Amino acid sequence: MKNEQLLKGQSIPHDSADKHVTGLAQYTDDVSEPLNTLHGAIGWSKKAHAKIKKIDLKDVRESEGVISIVTYKDIPGRNDVGPVFDGDPIFPKTKIEYFGQPLFAVAAISTELARKAVLKAKVTYEELKPIATIEDALKKNNLLFEPRIIKKGDPQNKIIRSKNKLKGKFNTGSQEHFYLEGQVCLVIPQEDNNLTVYSSTQHPSETQQIVAKMLKQKSNSITVLVRRIGGGFGGKETNFMTAAICALLSHKTGKPIKLRLDRDDDIIITGKRHDFYSEYEVGFNDNGKIEGLKLKLASRCGMSPDLSYAINERALLHLDNAYYLSDLEVKNYLCKTNTSSSTAFRGFGGNQGMMAIENIIDNIARFLKKDPSEVRKNNFYGLKERNITHYGMKINDNVIHDIFKNLLDKSNYKKRYEDIKNFNLKNNYKKKGIALTPVKFGISFTTIHLNQAGALVHIYTDGSVYLNHGGIEMGQGTHTKIAQLVANTFGLPFEKVKISSTNTSKVPNTSASAASSTTDLNGAATLNAAGKIKKNINNFIRDKYKIYSKIEPTYKNQNIYFGNRIFNFKKIIEEAYLNRISLSSSGFYSTPKINFDKKKFHGRPFYYFCYGAAVSEVTIDTLTGENKVDRVDIVHDAGNAINPALELGQIEGGFVQGQGWLTMEEVVWDKSGKLKTFSPSTYKIPAVTDTPDKFNVEIFEKGSNVENVVNKQKTTGEPPLMLAMSVFFAIKDAIASVVDYKKTPKLDAPATPEKILMSISELKSKI
Amino acid sequence: MVSDTIQFLLNDKIYKIRNPDPNKTILNYVRNDLKKTGTKEGCAEGGCGACTVVLGELNYNKVIYKSINACISFLPILNGKQLILIEDLVYKNKPHIVQEALIKFHGSQCGFCTPGFTMSLFSMRKNYKSINNEIIEEALSGNLCRCTGYRPIIDAAKSLKNKKDQDHFKKNQNKTIHLLKKIKNIDIEINHHGKKYFAPKTILNLRRILKKYPNSKILSGGTDLSLEVTKFRKDIKTIISLNSVKKLNFIKKNKKLVEIGATSSLFEFQNLIKKYFLDFYNVLKRYGSVQIRNVGTIAGNIATASPIGDTLPLLLSLDAKVVIQGTNKKKTLPLNQFFISYRKTKLKKGEFIYSIKIPLNKKNIFKAYKISKRFDDDISSVCGSFSFFIKKNIITKASIAYGGMSEIPKRALTIEKDLINSEFSENTFSRAANLIDKDFSPLDDMRASRNYRLTVAKNLLLKAFYEIKDKKNIRIHS
Repeated sequence: MKNEQLLKGQSIPHDSADKHVTGLAQYTDDVSEPLNTLHGAIGWSKKAHAKIKKIDLKDVRESEGVISIVTYKDIPGRNDVGPVFDGDPIFPKTKIEYFGQPLFAVAAISTELARKAVLKAKVTYEELKPIATIEDALKKNNLLFEPRIIKKGDPQNKIIRSKNKLKGKFNTGSQEHFYLEGQVCLVIPQEDNNLTVYSSTQHPSETQQIVAKMLKQKSNSITVLVRRIGGGFGGKETNFMTAAICALLSHKTGKPIKLRLDRDDDIIITGKRHDFYSEYEVGFNDNGKIEGLKLKLASRCGMSPDLSYAINERALLHLDNAYYLSDLEVKNYLCKTNTSSSTAFRGFGGNQGMMAIENIIDNIARFLKKDPSEVRKNNFYGLKERNITHYGMKINDNVIHDIFKNLLDKSNYKKRYEDIKNFNLKNNYKKKGIALTPVKFGISFTTIHLNQAGALVHIYTDGSVYLNHGGIEMGQGTHTKIAQLVANTFGLPFEKVKISSTNTSKVPNTSASAASSTTDLNGAATLNAAGKIKKNINNFIRDKYKIYSKIEPTYKNQNIYFGNRIFNFKKIIEEAYLNRISLSSSGFYSTPKINFDKKKFHGRPFYYFCYGAAVSEVTIDTLTGENKVDRVDIVHDAGNAINPALELGQIEGGFVQGQGWLTMEEVVWDKSGKLKTFSPSTYKIPAVTDTPDKFNVEIFEKGSNVENVVNKQKTTGEPPLMLAMSVFFAIKDAIASVVDYKKTPKLDAPATPEKILMSISELKSKI
Repeated sequence: MVSDTIQFLLNDKIYKIRNPDPNKTILNYVRNDLKKTGTKEGCAEGGCGACTVVLGELNYNKVIYKSINACISFLPILNGKQLILIEDLVYKNKPHIVQEALIKFHGSQCGFCTPGFTMSLFSMRKNYKSINNEIIEEALSGNLCRCTGYRPIIDAAKSLKNKKDQDHFKKNQNKTIHLLKKIKNIDIEINHHGKKYFAPKTILNLRRILKKYPNSKILSGGTDLSLEVTKFRKDIKTIISLNSVKKLNFIKKNKKLVEIGATSSLFEFQNLIKKYFLDFYNVLKRYGSVQIRNVGTIAGNIATASPIGDTLPLLLSLDAKVVIQGTNKKKTLPLNQFFISYRKTKLKKGEFIYSIKIPLNKKNIFKAYKISKRFDDDISSVCGSFSFFIKKNIITKASIAYGGMSEIPKRALTIEKDLINSEFSENTFSRAANLIDKDFSPLDDMRASRNYRLTVAKNLLLKAFYEIKDKKNIRIHS
């Protein structure tokens, strides 16, 4: 791609912004229902681990307004919604594996009546002992897969020979997606047993396949449509339960069915972020440079594999963050627990791996009594040496040094670091802390075949453009950005390009909108389609207007320029149509250069890396553990951004979501495996005053992409979440001040007021 | 005169519904019956704000705008009011100024929470002539957004600061008032297939209905009651609303006390109490959200007797009294005698709370703290409230109460006793704080552990001491 063809970032509003603010944006629950639509509800298990002795549905059947009930007996095909591995039965036949597991569903004349009816089931359980925690699963060796061991160099020997050594344990917590629009699906039966499925999903193609397999039908009988979803964050990547049950109810009744999960049911039934436990042993020199590292990394995967293998793999691929690790051994345990199946969540394990290493580096710095930012810098990957990752990938786009320096200056870090020490000397009960953390995040699905995308572009005879691609609009603005790319490539104003619902009958076999790669992949496929149409137009013009020079035309200002010959776009389109030229094309893209040998844990799993860094300053109350983020400075690389305003939105929004993960969001299960936090009254995501008082976010000025990504952009989907690690380590810094930085606090995530206060108590008791 | 028909104003038209289902929420009515889908359901418990709509209420010759959670408000409460939905903000195809601001500042991403935010901003805009950061944060604290991180929404709100209010609601105000006045203000008695709803206008009628239906549920703000329907999927057979009883909506004050009628909203109360007890105001501002406080009442909070009801420990330590309207006459009870056990009070069938009396005493020093995982719109892990009289450096009176520490909000009697007649010093407070487990034996739950609760409760007492001693607040949120 030549640089002059790149779109200079245009911060136009989200293409649906006017509809969002007026309530006219349609979500799945807003689609007009046919008159005879019935409404579903799911009946679920009240035990975390049990054998099903009996399910008595008599009272459910007789409940007001109930038309039909489905159980596992009604499933003609595959009784599983597992995307890669089996293990997620739609309705289990004999054994219950988690509190909240669906057991049956009803269709009734209204949502309220359906929800009332399911509560009337009488389930007889034979209770089994649940395994709810990582600790318990490790003790009982209850694992989904054999432990995975990766090794590079000779860490044991290196640690022994290192001058300094540390050992420790660390936890990061789970997180509920809390997309504002819950799981919802509308299925409308068509002729030939075909189903039209409107679903709030990040993955329409797999929804299509799962429903087809469940009903023992061909994929070509199921069409899935998604105009937009009200947030996904990974929580709608593989959660096919809602769509499957909705389709099953429709299949049985022959009626349109709407199934919308109540918020409590949504949180109870669906999976969340994996919590991780780590044990480490590290050797390092007096500069804090890591010489050898041994790590045990265990995660709570819940009752089934779902995506846990890939998520743990991404943790393994990111436990270096931005740091060179010469000698390393990691043992990875995927714990099977009687909890909902942990699933994709923005960061996809990467963030958990990064927190493990950041905790180690922070502890090294505190042990050496050094500024942690210095120790971080000392461990950065080099530009010319120390630039091969532990999985053998050479890093050739490293900008972390630039970003780090840029951020140090911009945030005035050094001075504030000293000022804060002074502040803490003068204040007994309010303490401040500051931390700078980097982010390096690899972009591509690590399952290589998923790195493909398709698109469909039409130009109508009036010169307007219609566009479909496989990506899902979930707030990130992918439709806006791709429409901007299309408008730019055709030299048209943005308004001439229309993006419609993502639709499996228009673009088939798509990958989930996930792994931050939606715009990269689908944008490239779209430009591929547009390029084919442009070729047709160009050839037509050359033929008709006898342009023999090899000059490449440019599309600008609604005109096509062949040197000094100018053709009006709209007129040429009309002419092309009359001359029987195709003005429609599909497009395809597959990411080049990537490869990864999962067995050897070796290769180039990522097309490129995203970089960023953040400085956070916090205040804590040492009497109560309350905390507040006072100021955040961020420099983040978005490459050559297509739409800087939308990227800024991703960076800030990702940051605050990460801040929630690491501070206030606490998922609590009791000992019996029952989820205790399942509504906004018990589970707290950041609210308006949690936004940092001062929030200075800058897109890295020199940003570009060394690889040939659309517009030389870099995605901003997941990486900004990890910028919030700085908040956690700033809190830890503030805690350390309580003992004048003489000891290292023990702090697990999320750093709730309780964890902070307990950390302070423990620290004081050591002095 | 009695009517079985509720009437409300929507888009300059008076809607009449005869015997509506009194358990139907405004949200379900709007989405399912009116087929207006701009208003969203996010949680069905008033915890996310996606369903925010605005009610216009006639107050003398002015329309007062209140944002509420449509998901936990029953349809009959619309009677006599103007309902404003997200769709109604657009006028002659032009978006409202708050909608324009949200577009301009990129305030929406997935867009699902956006109608709720828009309505909250609209309500803020209509109610405040000048806007500052505190007002913005308060107005938005009941709306959750999972995408933006809020900064662009806050910026959009700030951009409204210096803009004049000239929207179509303002231009149309006379007509709105005229139409609202056309709705006759009479008693409502609804019978929807046996489900009953009463909204009497007088105490006399209220007592008559209560006598006839002693097992009915009393609706004040309904923010707790409605969860029976939206979360526990129950039918409430008989509801008696207090909201039309004019005599229960009052605020009286003299030098010695303030008295708040049962149906005064928490929002009204918060603005009243600010003058007397700033910390009460500070805690109230974090009680639910504006949407909740616009309808929720202090009497409702007391009647639910929740161990974590945030006004309760504060009222306890201020020696508040509750006035109960019995079947025959009124009686006054000190609040600390009102709670019996978990969610049980001395309120008998057929009785209702008439008012709350809070004694005013200029000489007491009052401190209150709410500790929660999240600052805004969260339920306390611990709420501590302290009232002291100090004479010549001797503590002559100490009134201390905690929420979240026991099955009911409770006074810390052992600690109080230990403090009284002691010197106002760190030693005294450290000694007394160590008695915390004599007064309380809190539980572990998803909000906090027993250990944390005890530690914080202790520390809050010390914090009160430090703040009084140094005459300045030590708090991370200014």
